[in-house]
Amino acid sequence: MTLHPPISGHPPVPGVRPTVPSRRRFLRQLGLAAAGSVLAPPLLQACRGQGGGTADPTSGGGELVISSFPLYIDTDEPDAPGSVARFRADTGIQLRYLEDINDTRQFFARIQPQLAAGRPLSQDLLVLTSWLAARLIGLGWVEPLPLAEVPNAANLIPTLRNPSWDPKGRYSLPWQSGIAGIAYNIKATGRELTGVDDLFDPALKGRVSALLEMRDTMGLLMLADGQDISAPSWQAAQPSFDRLERARRDGQIRRFTGNDYQNDLLAGNLAACIGWSGDVAQLTQEEPDLRFLVPQTGGVLWADVMVMPKGARHPQAAARWMNWVYDPVEAARIAAAVLYISPVQGVREILARDPATAELASNPLMFPDAATQQRLRVFGPLSESEEARWEERFAAITEG
Amino acid sequence: MWWAWILLAPGLLWLTLLYLLPLLGLVPLSLSEPLSRFGLETRFSWRLANYADGMGTYGPVLLRSFAFAGLSTALGLLLAYPLACAIRFRGGRWQPLLIGLVVLPSLTSYLVRAIGWTSLLGDNGPVLGLVAALGLTDLGLLRDGRLLNTPTAVVLGLTSTQLPFLVLPLVVALQRIERRLLEAAADLHAGPWRRFRLVVWPLSRPGLASALLLSLIPAAGDVVNPLFLGGPNERMIANAIANLLLVQLQAPRAAALALVLMALSGVAVWLLLRRGGPDDLALQ
Repeated sequence: MTLHPPISGHPPVPGVRPTVPSRRRFLRQLGLAAAGSVLAPPLLQACRGQGGGTADPTSGGGELVISSFPLYIDTDEPDAPGSVARFRADTGIQLRYLEDINDTRQFFARIQPQLAAGRPLSQDLLVLTSWLAARLIGLGWVEPLPLAEVPNAANLIPTLRNPSWDPKGRYSLPWQSGIAGIAYNIKATGRELTGVDDLFDPALKGRVSALLEMRDTMGLLMLADGQDISAPSWQAAQPSFDRLERARRDGQIRRFTGNDYQNDLLAGNLAACIGWSGDVAQLTQEEPDLRFLVPQTGGVLWADVMVMPKGARHPQAAARWMNWVYDPVEAARIAAAVLYISPVQGVREILARDPATAELASNPLMFPDAATQQRLRVFGPLSESEEARWEERFAAITEG
Repeated sequence: MWWAWILLAPGLLWLTLLYLLPLLGLVPLSLSEPLSRFGLETRFSWRLANYADGMGTYGPVLLRSFAFAGLSTALGLLLAYPLACAIRFRGGRWQPLLIGLVVLPSLTSYLVRAIGWTSLLGDNGPVLGLVAALGLTDLGLLRDGRLLNTPTAVVLGLTSTQLPFLVLPLVVALQRIERRLLEAAADLHAGPWRRFRLVVWPLSRPGLASALLLSLIPAAGDVVNPLFLGGPNERMIANAIANLLLVQLQAPRAAALALVLMALSGVAVWLLLRRGGPDDLALQ
């Protein structure tokens, strides 16, 4: 099986794109991803929650609703429907796929009122960063997944099943993984960067950004300080907090960003930043001078997962979706578009077989080699009270 | 006068239910403590520490907010006053069109406008290029040779957001000045400067006060301009409130800061009213 020729009568799917489609670029330049996070009042979410009904979406009543991050799936191209359209055609299930999660932390604030009050959301599936999924599991705000109806879960990379915060794998299934590391423009820096210390190089003053995602920014800095982030301790984090605070005050750090660091990188406002592997892999297609570095001291490996919020109305349809995206061919299409680390085995082989996507099979950001994998660490869990303390200090740095 | 109350009723009802009551609700919330980290319930406990903590961490941010708001309003007035005079006294039959042009940018979402500014003010953008070409890089407006994500950019963004709210009340106030007064002043041998000083300026003061309030208060509470045009050292108080509410899930502290912001804005209104009386707001 290859991505070309077309599968099941659908037109061919473009694999490697020499340039990112203009729509994507346009959205990015408008910074709508960032914009959405500013003005997404929790009320909107609450109002939209109703409707849908309990009817089974396979029979045309109600619809399966999924919330995810922007640009996290293959989109419709001329003559080549994206995954959402193909899923609708293949299964007859009405699917509404929302790209409405721009800031994980603010998304929690949006869903919190309903879930805390025991009212179901309109969504049947949420694609969330693992620490937030862990929080929802701890609060009892998610349903066990109908795993029996997801036989393709057998295709998953074994190490991704049963993470420490969901030891029996009952509540979550992986969507994509990625690496938080250092992105830089070689023309702007004038040299190759080698590690986290380069972000604090006075020569780059005011042209460096860090992520608002605390675990990624703090994780990288703590790794550079030689700290263990799999069991993060408040004490051990203080030097990294201090370093970040100084850099912010001195104007070394220009901004703290969500996805919007991409605009600044392309516009030349940033020389280097903390960024995410898949984003940078996508951006490299339009800006070949961009590089992504997993520092020798270590990069932060994160995973986004699918969870089913409490009271989800369409568990069967949700299971169909999860099963569908774990088909290696479908997973390969998604991987070829988003360029993150796919959770499905066999994706690499499928990409390698198709001339249009063969190059991706050797992309080290999608398929990290053994040496890189050695350097990747997962940021460990924080207790509720610890997390509050961490977030307060982090916010005093980013917002103070 | 019963019919006056009927006419007022919809507006009063709206303001009471959707503005005044929620606002009053902030007061007990600001003195409460959350019962759990991720729940919504809070318990009223006279927790004044919410104010102390908020002001301790974000006091400087509050000062910065009013400094930015004041600067942008002052800059805006320098632009708006001559503009309003030109529209009023030289606009002729083009007046409606000119007013329309002033309002035109407001038809675009202010979010999109702020993002547009990021392109203009970027390191490779046209404005910085112009500043460099004119040799204006040493005026202290830039930081490390850049314009975007500096105080200058935030003040510029705020000024452009507030400009229509400065121009419109001024135009209205200036339009109330009768031409005959100016003609009379001219007949009495007042030159242009004296005509301005003795006739136009005093009679435009009501508009000036309205313009000040309409600009200063929203600017002090702006979220978008500091977020896109500033950096972490240019954050304003509304950013901190949003972060407390949406990220740190500390609604009581957010409420406390919001009330402090409103109280300070209230003081500004009171000072203006006391100085000039309600007449200054062109309310009559």
